Amino acid sequence: MLAIEQGAQGVVVITGRLDAAQCPAAQSFLDRVQGTVTLDCGGLDYISSAGLGVLLKTQKRLLASGGKLRLAGVNRHLQDIFQYSGFDQIFEIEPAR
Amino acid sequence: MSEERAFGRSFDSLEEIFEFTSGYFARAGVDPRLLPSVDFAVEELFTNMVKYGAVADPGTKVRIGIEPVKGGVQVTLTDSGVEPFDVTRAPDADVNLPIEQRRPGGLGIHLIRRLVDSWDYEYSRERRESRIRFRKTLAGTPAAGTASTMGGA
Repeated sequence: MLAIEQGAQGVVVITGRLDAAQCPAAQSFLDRVQGTVTLDCGGLDYISSAGLGVLLKTQKRLLASGGKLRLAGVNRHLQDIFQYSGFDQIFEIEPAR
Repeated sequence: MSEERAFGRSFDSLEEIFEFTSGYFARAGVDPRLLPSVDFAVEELFTNMVKYGAVADPGTKVRIGIEPVKGGVQVTLTDSGVEPFDVTRAPDADVNLPIEQRRPGGLGIHLIRRLVDSWDYEYSRERRESRIRFRKTLAGTPAAGTASTMGGA
């Protein structure tokens, strides 16, 4: 399952698994964010290519209006996925500590 | 121990599929570090079958089997009543494009190549059945550009 909610100081917290079945809910939430947004991925266990599409669509929209989406707390597996996808070139990524 | 289950052709089956894979890992004592990559490949291949598998009978289920191999697992997805499509021959995505030119989609196959040890595709014209099999082990290195294809179409 997936949960996505507004946290403190402009941070959006996403937890669980962002698979193809959960993407509509995540996209619906992220379609409403504005400006520069940090997505706390510390509790995000899994992402599929459908989930990558959600992040890419959001990044393109935010960049067009002068904002951006930052990815924080990214675990090792997600780092590999982002690197193989070239997302490390189009997102600011902060690994999990 | 080998196990196989059948799943309805819907994204809603994903939760049940992930319960099956994680349950198998626990029952068979497979290293859990392999699970995210296995789930990724299973989801991408399954959702491709759901989206593009033009089955005459939409009630036809996709079968997913898992069996142990040294240091990991071998997973087989079988789709019946479909035309041949060798997904292992699909081109890679261009991940070096600037964001203005990037479009959502096309990353699934690209990433499977890099996450699994090997994969192959077979098609049975007699049964009109596509079978995709991949292997993931701890010893496996990222398999970019080394996917093997048995063909058989």
